[in-house]
This record gives sequence, structure tokens and C-alpha cells, in this order.
Amino acid sequence: MRRTPLLSACVLAALALATAGAALAGNGGIAPVEPRSPNADGIRDSYWLILAVVLAIFALVEGLLVTFVIRFRRGRRQRFEDGAQLHGKSSLEVLWTAVPVLILFAIVAFVFVKLPGIRNVPSADAAAGRLDVAVTAHRYYWQFEYPNGAVSVDTLRAPVGQPVKLTLTAPDDDVIHSWWIPALGGKIDAIPGQTTSTWFTADRPGVYKGRCAELCGLLHAEMLAWVEAVPKPEFDAWLEREAAAQQAGTSKLGEQTYAGACAKCHGLAGQGDIGPRLDGSAIASDPAGIEKVVREGRNAMPTVGAAWSDSQMDALTGYVKERFGSGG
Amino acid sequence: MAARAESTPAVPDWQRGKVASWLVTTDHKRIGLVYIVSSGVFFAAAGVMALLMRTQLATANADVVTRESYNELLTVHGSAMVFLFAMPLIAGLGNYLVPLMIGARDMAFPRLNALSLWLYLFSGVVMMLSFLAEGGTAQAGWTAYPPLSSQQAGNGMDLWILSLHLIGVSSLLGAINFIVTIHNLRAPGMTWTRMPLFVWSMDVFAWLLLAVLPTLSAGLTLLLLDRQAGTHFFDPTGGGSPLLWQHAFWFFGHPEVYVLILPAMGIISEVLPVFARKPIFGYKAVAFSSVGIAFFSMLVWAHHMFTVGLPNVLNVYFMIASMIIAVPTGMKIFNWLATLWRGNLHFDAPMLYALGFLSIFTMGGLTGIFLAAFPVDWQLHDSYFVVAHFHYTIFGGVVFGLLAGLHYWWPKLFGRLLDERLGKASFWLMFAGFHVTFLPQHFLGLLGMPRRIYTYGEGGLWEGYNMASTIGSYVMGLGVLVILVNMAKTSRTGRRAGNDPWRANTLEWYTTSPPPEHNFDSVPYVTSPRPLYDLRRRLKESDAV
Repeated sequence: MRRTPLLSACVLAALALATAGAALAGNGGIAPVEPRSPNADGIRDSYWLILAVVLAIFALVEGLLVTFVIRFRRGRRQRFEDGAQLHGKSSLEVLWTAVPVLILFAIVAFVFVKLPGIRNVPSADAAAGRLDVAVTAHRYYWQFEYPNGAVSVDTLRAPVGQPVKLTLTAPDDDVIHSWWIPALGGKIDAIPGQTTSTWFTADRPGVYKGRCAELCGLLHAEMLAWVEAVPKPEFDAWLEREAAAQQAGTSKLGEQTYAGACAKCHGLAGQGDIGPRLDGSAIASDPAGIEKVVREGRNAMPTVGAAWSDSQMDALTGYVKERFGSGG
Repeated sequence: MAARAESTPAVPDWQRGKVASWLVTTDHKRIGLVYIVSSGVFFAAAGVMALLMRTQLATANADVVTRESYNELLTVHGSAMVFLFAMPLIAGLGNYLVPLMIGARDMAFPRLNALSLWLYLFSGVVMMLSFLAEGGTAQAGWTAYPPLSSQQAGNGMDLWILSLHLIGVSSLLGAINFIVTIHNLRAPGMTWTRMPLFVWSMDVFAWLLLAVLPTLSAGLTLLLLDRQAGTHFFDPTGGGSPLLWQHAFWFFGHPEVYVLILPAMGIISEVLPVFARKPIFGYKAVAFSSVGIAFFSMLVWAHHMFTVGLPNVLNVYFMIASMIIAVPTGMKIFNWLATLWRGNLHFDAPMLYALGFLSIFTMGGLTGIFLAAFPVDWQLHDSYFVVAHFHYTIFGGVVFGLLAGLHYWWPKLFGRLLDERLGKASFWLMFAGFHVTFLPQHFLGLLGMPRRIYTYGEGGLWEGYNMASTIGSYVMGLGVLVILVNMAKTSRTGRRAGNDPWRANTLEWYTTSPPPEHNFDSVPYVTSPRPLYDLRRRLKESDAV
């Protein structure tokens, strides 16, 4: 019986060590990942405040629990000897009702202060301007459409220091997905038939990885997204060049589309996996056939390309034919 | 004498057999036992599913189960743990104990009670057999969000819906039965404020089920119509809204977690006083806070929907409402702590599980505060942080509470005490395994791991935490095996319990273990929430005289 408090202490110590270890590993999951955007920053500040409050309450409750377990253990007393017959005390009960209310309202107040900086999309009139990108979530890829008509798949390029507003949706016949790049802020769902929005301003160049956060089917785990933040002049030049190349059919859009929309089922090398093998198959050399299948779907295959522009469709069919066509 | 014999309904011979007597029984104790044993079977099945998922996630890019199987496992693991294990185990303990604790001879409607049981068993069979449907069973998670759920091919999803419809009817009938029993069949003198706290919690459990379960059944019906009758309630191609389902589901789904936790809290409120040799601290606060929790639980559902782009005013409302619910929960925790203060604590297995509940559930409640603050939820939502949070409340809370109750009432149910050494060993395995499994999942969520992914490519910390989590889950599996060994071993050789091995407080300990079919020859007049404590004191006083 004596060993019980000792064991509790050991378990608590082990937990503390594990937690400290995680902290030492450079935020190994003790808080949201290093923020790279002001909204993610505001979220993390709120997180730290709540963590501080919660750790204090945790220490109080678990401390009392362990203290009472040690202090009031049976020891040498008779097994069925009565403890103190206390039925309650109103003042104490009022205290532990009122104090939590005050603590919770302090948390709510802090969240209110942080909220505008997290939620409000910066105005387009601001000095830096704003980039508006339309995001469509598909099974199982992300399509981004820039203001000048250029598109990209799974990787969103963004300028450093400029607010980027994302307007999200999913095709009517698709399912719900959720946009989540942890370093650039919280999640927002992409829902068929509705639009939602979020924003970020990347504060330095880098590639930020994220994942779809709403179970969307077989390949939910493979629905990844990247935001590649580059200096603004570089971004502006790229965007113009890319739009022109996509118009002219000389961009890498076909390869990108294949990797995002097709390869997760048919394999990067067209070797087949969930979907049939494409490498060397008859349909690979048949652009009209490919277009029909990706626009209308077939069996378990969703209508991945129902809304692709002609230039994106041509880019894809051209890429597939060149890569996997059997000399047709 | 002759008249008396005539008034007893004749039991046909075929109903007296060892098997047949269980099939036709309307005795609340036998029904309770069938509930408890079957829920144990489903716990084992759903637990194995969890271990399979943990094995798949132990290392990056693993290939233990297919993507399809993984989605089936996560769906049925969740559905079965909630609907086929936790609720029926509560129904089983409630069935066995509520009539005994209020000094009644049976539930108010014994045959309705049997109907609830059989609907539950059929529901379980349907859910398990749905694995054999063409295309497999449901793969959209226990939350079954459309359009994913409405689009799934094959009939696995339809069978899943049928299973939940059956358990819905079963639970509603059971809830009505509990309410009528508790409101009408209490022993002389047992006023509302002298009722055992477990019975209080079962009453609130039943009312809450009655209030919210029809919403789930309605939602399921619409989902079935969308799938099979060409309607478009949740289908945007026909003008429907996928979010409508989320509102219907969570209006049920959030209270459901309180449906599960309130009876566990009721058990803790019975166990702590007995093993501290004290009355519960603040009886009325503990009883009425359950009512408060149940009421507020119906006003917070959209905190599960903070990422769907609700208007700000709704997000703010649901944040504040969700925080308010922490207050009655906190009251209970402090009342339980105060119950330990100046007690004479002994640490038998039921007490260890109750203390484990207290320490773990506190952590689960505290991580809920992060999720209630909606901007923080935007970061944590649908990540492993959430998985960790709800396992701290549902496993650390509900399951530890139910295990405290099982260890506490086992001698009443079977007449023999469980082995204390095995009981303590199982507790420490479960307690340590639990934290090793679920503590790292908080960190995984914060690192960016979404829930319900069947694999991940990241190594390093991701893999480390996942491996720890998997090891922990196997330790818990071992803990469950020790519990089973304990139950099997003591079934023949365990020490005889007698009426009241714990010198407990409530009426179920006034009768024999196990009780006779009619429960009591007589019931003492109830003068406080602790009738047996009063009885012992009166006996002592009369001895002294």
C-alpha cells in the first residue's frame, strides 16, 4: 500500500521528463510549430497563455490529489475506521465555482484581444497590396488559381511579406477537405457547394508543408500541400512568366497536374496502384479518351479534371502521351 | 397457499434450460449481465482494431493494413467503442444496479428491458457483419460526414446506419425504462436528495439520451434517404448542405460524450466515499452539477465545427458556452478531492481506478480548454491533439470510471472478490500504458499530424512519438488481459464476498451477493444517502446499549 504514492510520484516524474525532453528537442510538439505568419503567431500566443493557466490548474489538482493520497492513507488505522464525517462547506464550493469562471473569462478576454489579428484578412488597399488565390480541393489534390489565370497543383507559390487571401471550395460532387499549413495558421474547411476563406502572410522565404485535415477518402493521408514562399520580386516575375507559359503550352503544368491529380492512384511512373497501369496503355496515347475519363470519371475514379481549362487539359494529356504513350 | 401458487405465472419447461432461461429472461440482473459480457466482447473487438491501427502507425510508410482497411478500422473502432461498448456497459451496470440501489425488485418494464437488450445485440451483429458487405463496411469515420458517407459505394454504409438505428431504438427504450424506474420505484424514504449519486447520474444519462438521440436517428434517416431514395438533404449537387448533417450529428454527438461520462462520474461518486470512509463532499453540488453539465452539453455542439467558416458571432457564442461547461465539471473534481481530505484511504483496485479517473480526466478536461478557444482550435482541430484529448476523457474518464465500477461491484455480481494483486497490476499497466499511448499524441497533433491518416512519411519526432504511442497501446492491451485473467481465475477460487465486503453505503449491499431473483426480502427505511452506514451505526449504538 505504501508503494502507491511512490509509484504515482514515479509516473509523474516520468511524465515530467518526457515533457521536458519534448521541450528540449526544440518545441518537439509542446506548442504549435514555429509560426511563419502573423495569424499563426496570434494563435500560438493564445496557446501559450492557455498552457500556462492549464499547467497551474494541473499542478494544483494533481498536487492536491497526490498530497491527499499520501497524507490520508490508511497507515495503521483500522480498515473500516471512519474518516472525518464532513458533508460539505458552502464557502469552499462557492470559491471553486467562482474562481474557474473568472479564469475562463480571462482566457476569453485574451482570445478576444488576439482575435482580429488572427481572423481578419488584411485589406487589399494596404501598402503591400494583397494576392487573392482561389483554392479548389479535390480528391486528392489542391488546385490554386492566381489572379492572372495561372494555375498550380499541390504547391502554392506565394510572395514573402504580402498578405495572401485564399478563397476555398470543393466541387459539388466532391467531399469535404480541410486546408492546414501549421506554420501559416489554422485550418479552414473546403466544402462542396460553399466558399470559405483564410489568409496568411509568410514572413520569410521557405517551403511550408501541410496536409488535408478532414478525412476525405482512401488517399486522405496522401493529400499534402506545400506553400513555397519566395521574395516578392521573384514571385511577381514567376507569376507573369508562368501565366504566359501556360497559355503557350510550354509550362510544366502537365507534369505538375499528373503528379497531383493522377500519380497518387496511377503511380508517378504510371506503374499503377489503386488505379490501372498507364505506362504503355492504349489510353495514354489517346488525349480525347483521357479527357473523357478525367472529366466524367469512371468506376471508382472521381471526376478529377471536370473543371480544368483547355490549356490545363492539353498540358496533362500531352504530358501523359509523351511520357506513357506507346509510340502512338 | 393454493391461491398463492396459482398467482405465480407458470414457466414452461423449455424456458428453464441453462441457455433458454437466459434467452427469455426479463430479470434486470440477468439482462445486465448479458449487457456487460457482450459489451466486453465488443470492447475486445474494437480494441484489437485499435491495436491494428497503432501497429500500422508505429513506423513511417508502414504497410500492415491497406488504406481501405484502415478507414474501416477507424470507423468501426470509434462506432463500436461508443455504441457497442461504452453505452451498453453503462446500460448493463445500470440495469443490474439501479433497481438494487433504489431497493426495487426489477426495472419498471422488464419486457421492454429485454427488447432493449436484444435490439442492442442485433445492432452489434449487424455492425460486425457489415465488414463482409461488398466494398467493406463504412469508411467515413464514426462521424460519417457526407458527402463522403453518402457517396460510399456498396451497402457497408447502409448496414452501419441500420446498426445505429437499432442501437438508437434500444437506447431510447432503455432510457425511458430507467427514467420510469428511478422516478417511481424508489424505496420508502428515498427522496431525491437521498438517492445514490450513481442513480442520479443514470437518471440524467437517460433524460439526456432522450433529448438528443432522436436527432441522430433523424440525421441517419436522412443520410439513408440520400443514399437510397435519391433525396439531396446533404448533397450540394441537389441543393443540399453537408453542414446540416454536422449540426444534426454534433447536437447528438457532443451530449453523447456526457451521456458516457456522467455515469462514470456517478461511479466515482460511489467509490471514493466508500474507500475514503467518508460521505461525499457536497452531495447536492455533485448531483445538481450533473444536471448543469447535461443542460449545457446541448448548447455547445458547434465547437466541433469551428473550421467550417461559421459567422464570428456563432464561434464566440460556442466558445463561451463550451468554457462554461468546465465550471460544473470543475466543481465535481474539487468535491471529489475534498472527499479524500481527512479520509481513511485504502487503495484497493476500485479506488485505484477511481483515483486514476480523477487524475486523467482532469488532464482531458484541461486540454478541452485549448479546443474551446476557437482560434486555437483552428490549429488543433482534427489533429492528433484532438485524438489525445478525447481519449483522455473517454478512455481515461469513461473506461477508468467503468473499470472502477466493475471492480467495485464485481463481488455483488458474482459473489466472489477479485484478486487484489492482479487488480493492482492491471491498474498500473493500464495507467502507465494509457499515458505512454496518449500523451505523445498531443505532441503529434501540435507537430501537424492530422487524425485519420493511415500513414505518414516523416521520420524523427513523428516516428518516435508514434512508436511510443504504439508501445503504450500494447501495454494497455496487456493490462486488459490481466483483468480478464483476474476475472477467470477468481470465478472459481475467489474469496466469497458476503453481502457487503467493502462496508459500503448503498442498498445493493443489503442483499446477498449475487442477489436472489426478487432482490430483497425487505428494504430498510432510507433516512440519508447512506442507508447502510446509518444501519451499521444504529446497530453499533444498540450493541452499546
